[in-house]
Amino acid sequence: MSAPRFRLNGCDGVLPGDPARSLLDILREDHGLTAAKPGCRIGRCGACTVLMDGRPVNACLVMAYRLEGTEILTADHPEAGPAVAIVRAALIDENAFQCGYCAPGFVLALAALLNRAPEAGEAEIRAALTGNLCRCTGYASILRGALTARDRLRAARGATGAEPGGPKPSGSQLPR
Amino acid sequence: MSGRALRVLRPREAGEALAALSRHGGEARLAAGATALQLDWAAGAERPDLLVDLSGLPELRGVEAVGGNLRIGAATPLAEIEADATVARLAPLLGRAVRTVAAPAVRSLASLGGNVAGRTGCCLPALLALDAALEILTAAGRERVALADWLGRAAEPASLLLAVTLPPQPEGAPTTLRKVGLRTAFSPSVIGVAGLLSLDHGVIGAARLAAGGGPVRPQRLPRSEALLAGRPPGAVDWAGLHAALLAEIDAPDDSLRSARYRRLAAANALVAGLGGAGMLPGAGGRSGALPRYRPVGTGAPAGERVVSRAADPAGWHRRPDIADKVHGRLAYLTDARAPGMLVGRILRAGRPHARILSIDTAEAEALPGVAAVVTHRDVPGLNAYGIMVQDQPALCGERVRYVGDAVAAVAAVDEATAEAALALIRVAYAPLPVLDSPEVALAPGAPPLHPEGNLRREVRVARGDIESAFAACAHVVEDTYVTPRQMHGFLETEGGWAMMEADGSVTIRVGGQHGARDRLQIARILGWPEARVRVVTSPTGGAFGGKDELTVQPALALLAVKTGRAVRLHLGRSESVAAGIKRNPMRIRMRTGCDAEGRLLAVSVELTADGGAYASLSPAVIETALEHCCGPYIVPNVAGVARLVATNNGTCGAFRGFGANEMTYAIECQMGRLAQVVGCDPVTLRRRNLRAPGSPGFFGQTVGPSERLAEMLDAAAASPLWSAGQGQGQEPAAVGVGLALNYQGNGLGSLPEDRAAVELRLAADGAIEALYGLDEIGQGLQAAIRSAVAARLGVDRAEIRPVIGDTGRTPDSGSTTASRGTFVVWEGARRAAPAFARALLDAAAQRLGRRPQGEAPDGLGSADLALGPGGIREARSNSGRPLLGFAELAAGLPPEALPRSRAAFDFPKADYVAGNARYLFAFGATLARVAVDRVTGEVRVLDLHQHTAAGPVLDAAAYLGQIEGGGVQGLGFTLTEDARMEAGRYAASNLDGYLMPTIADAPERSRVLALEDLDPGDPYGPRGIGELGIGAVTPAIAAAVADAVGHWPGAAPFSPETLLRALCDGAAA
Repeated sequence: MSAPRFRLNGCDGVLPGDPARSLLDILREDHGLTAAKPGCRIGRCGACTVLMDGRPVNACLVMAYRLEGTEILTADHPEAGPAVAIVRAALIDENAFQCGYCAPGFVLALAALLNRAPEAGEAEIRAALTGNLCRCTGYASILRGALTARDRLRAARGATGAEPGGPKPSGSQLPR
Repeated sequence: MSGRALRVLRPREAGEALAALSRHGGEARLAAGATALQLDWAAGAERPDLLVDLSGLPELRGVEAVGGNLRIGAATPLAEIEADATVARLAPLLGRAVRTVAAPAVRSLASLGGNVAGRTGCCLPALLALDAALEILTAAGRERVALADWLGRAAEPASLLLAVTLPPQPEGAPTTLRKVGLRTAFSPSVIGVAGLLSLDHGVIGAARLAAGGGPVRPQRLPRSEALLAGRPPGAVDWAGLHAALLAEIDAPDDSLRSARYRRLAAANALVAGLGGAGMLPGAGGRSGALPRYRPVGTGAPAGERVVSRAADPAGWHRRPDIADKVHGRLAYLTDARAPGMLVGRILRAGRPHARILSIDTAEAEALPGVAAVVTHRDVPGLNAYGIMVQDQPALCGERVRYVGDAVAAVAAVDEATAEAALALIRVAYAPLPVLDSPEVALAPGAPPLHPEGNLRREVRVARGDIESAFAACAHVVEDTYVTPRQMHGFLETEGGWAMMEADGSVTIRVGGQHGARDRLQIARILGWPEARVRVVTSPTGGAFGGKDELTVQPALALLAVKTGRAVRLHLGRSESVAAGIKRNPMRIRMRTGCDAEGRLLAVSVELTADGGAYASLSPAVIETALEHCCGPYIVPNVAGVARLVATNNGTCGAFRGFGANEMTYAIECQMGRLAQVVGCDPVTLRRRNLRAPGSPGFFGQTVGPSERLAEMLDAAAASPLWSAGQGQGQEPAAVGVGLALNYQGNGLGSLPEDRAAVELRLAADGAIEALYGLDEIGQGLQAAIRSAVAARLGVDRAEIRPVIGDTGRTPDSGSTTASRGTFVVWEGARRAAPAFARALLDAAAQRLGRRPQGEAPDGLGSADLALGPGGIREARSNSGRPLLGFAELAAGLPPEALPRSRAAFDFPKADYVAGNARYLFAFGATLARVAVDRVTGEVRVLDLHQHTAAGPVLDAAAYLGQIEGGGVQGLGFTLTEDARMEAGRYAASNLDGYLMPTIADAPERSRVLALEDLDPGDPYGPRGIGELGIGAVTPAIAAAVADAVGHWPGAAPFSPETLLRALCDGAAA
């Protein structure tokens, strides 16, 4: 039986000995990836949101044993795919965040939604972001950024006729 | 992080899982997503030895249609179910139910089986209404049992839930589903309901009604169902059904909601959802007794504009830090990691009041991997801190006064060792009586928490003859307003790191709001000169006043000094909840009287604030509150008293608004009520009483120019919200509009020292560095600095490099609090720029062989050289091309010759010193349009319009963000947030129980408007807006609620239960 393994931002990740160690600690302490932030450690703030096989998860709630065979993408991965790139750019243009501690989580929660539902309306966007708390902005700026991201992603798809760009942890290119 | 390691079994088939469960008995736990399990662990539940992971069992995964029925594997994640086409076709009600569970990321892991097996899940009512059955594996084999029957049985330890099966939802059958929570989404359940009526030739065949979720036992409601069967949907006796449901639903009381409320909301939801909304109270239209007066607008004030990117694209600048934040690469002070860095932890009292008999650290110190343990015995200097009064021990040695008191701290090689060491510190306590409320603390015989007694501060104001004035009033309104213990809720909890430097000094990097004062306090604790302490306080992941006082710095400093090594320390959320400062809970009794025309004659107010264990800034908070007791109105007769009481509750202190927003809630509600009894609209009543610009302030002090209260009222009167529609989509709701006015002082006031120093300098790389000892806590400090300094120098924003929040590099600019930063930034640039520009031009002149530029009267280059984007250019050239770039200029100068300029100044102060009075103010009017749900009494904010007047907007994005963010933080204060305490302990220890607004709670639409003009000759520029946005939100929502349901909510957060009762009473009236 081969050693258990998982993929992290397109590379092999290192699994710890303790099967209950949280993915959040694996990222921050074992791999030096600090984009995922500890805010509550019980899945109630969303600051540690990462994508696990394309779905948003709270890294604090994923125990190491669940990682085997999965692909994890974190918000600081520079080549996170075109959807993430468009989401990032839209949120930057809108100055969507203030203290910014929640920002990486919002980026991935939103990218996951727009990959799944590129035509998402405001109600769907709000529903997709309910697990991500922001204490600074009152959410209006994040919502504006999300709507901009959706429109740009739609335009990008229209221009290329391509399928929406899902996060491709390995080898994908940024569109710009 | 318990000592013993958890083993995980990942079985390949169900039998293996069951066998493991039987073998290990109570020592094993089944888990699929393990989300609820980890919540239990965090709340203190014992971890099992063995976790049997069901997530990889193929027969427990997936959705399939089997013989027309739906089979859903028990370990199937809820996210898969909500996205599944078969579920959408055969059981759409279940799809809706799944979406009410937690939040999307949690649903990626959490399974349907987990939701069912715990018997508290939010899917249970829908599953009961859908007549679900369960496939279960026991030692006796597989069995199929109806969910309703299974719920009636005792839990069977040695059984495994394999799947949930459902008959298809009858096509065209009316259904309803509602989860009532504590906020709009991602909430614990208060109660949930689901209903399904299967129709047979236009007649209700079977009706299945169910309730459950959270503390409510999952239950079918057969007696109520019986009232429906056999009737056509159009001939249902909805009132009869409602009464039957109220009688039948079994629901408990808890500290958050009564059983009666749960039953009523559930009955309302089922009746309204199945077609009987017409029988809900007040459904026929507004019926309350209160009159509804609308202001007549004469137009918005000239020059008021919407603040948004769309309204002014050219004025929209990217925050300097936004890209790094969005890319997740901004290094927060709690992100620092380095080889050899120790991990610190703090031992908290964990009890509200006790005498310390002994502290024994020997075992902890002996634990391998522990580098140091510190206690009060290790405090070389003053073992006390506090911004106003040094009454809080750095580490307690004799007595603990609240659950979060620090008793000891450890530094160890890793987190687990540090945690283990905490458990080995033996502290013997003798319990003392717990003073868990101001009333108890002030009762005769209560032990004093501090030498001066438990009444820590009493402030009074008095003018005129209050008794005669009330006797002369035509109208008097009186009520008590209660405000919550709001938590700051910064996403980055308190933390950072500290290290010893080679020169024997210590550097402490912890998010804060005034590095220079932190340095003073830390140096006192260490008994060191301040020069041996460097404090870095930026960037910080949110503060809102909650990082103004010291947090983890004393423990970090002591650990770094004792170990000589770098130590990091970051509070977990529950420790942050226990230890961190909160907003002072207040009770404000207010009596307000006016003459027949509505002219205010008298205000009397009595405020009692819970200060918690230590003073921090609470004395100033109650003083600020009292300063606002008459609002911006002229009141000839005033009697006010504010009392700050020490208790064993969590420590309180500074929080955005600082007492003003609490008092504004009271006085603005009083104004709204008076308008109703006088018989005029809320704008007219306020206009009749408004202070005149330039007249003396509340204390009689001279106040600054550019008052804009009348303009804010004009803006409010002209608001389109007054005539917005009453209807609100599908949900039956009562809609109302409300207004509140506010003003917020800038700066610390006339009594405390309030100075600022700043510096501008040319860096060696040619950047223009602007050094401010202020902190980036998210508010947009760096954007403001760039804006102000670039405008003064006439260069591009991008050429300014803010250097902030570091006592080792930046001058003391005062605290990043009290809405003072904006003015400090602007005034600092105004004062430092001329000399700096002159120095730049002189240096350039020398290089270019021109005559010295110093004679230029304005210093900005009326000689032949001038500053411009990119560098120095010909003053009279329009080409814009610099003759000499800043980098080029810098490269040719030795470091000591690089131009620099410092400025120091006092924040503008009032001339009154008998109390703490402000001189500069910002002004606002907030309008809220709300919908009060007739089913639940919950308030939803449809529109929030914030009109502001705070001088010129320094940076549009920062301005917008501060006002919008303050608005929603105020919305949380008003509707959902309260860190309740029971016997001196926090009722909720994390964000699952302390409910801040999510994006689903945010207003449906919001608008921020700014009136920027200043009076001619006003020298003070832009005013601070950090607190303005929260100031009037609560009373605006209260007024809108009163407009909708005829009841003024007197306690925040507003109780849906009270509002639902008001709806019923209004309907009955």
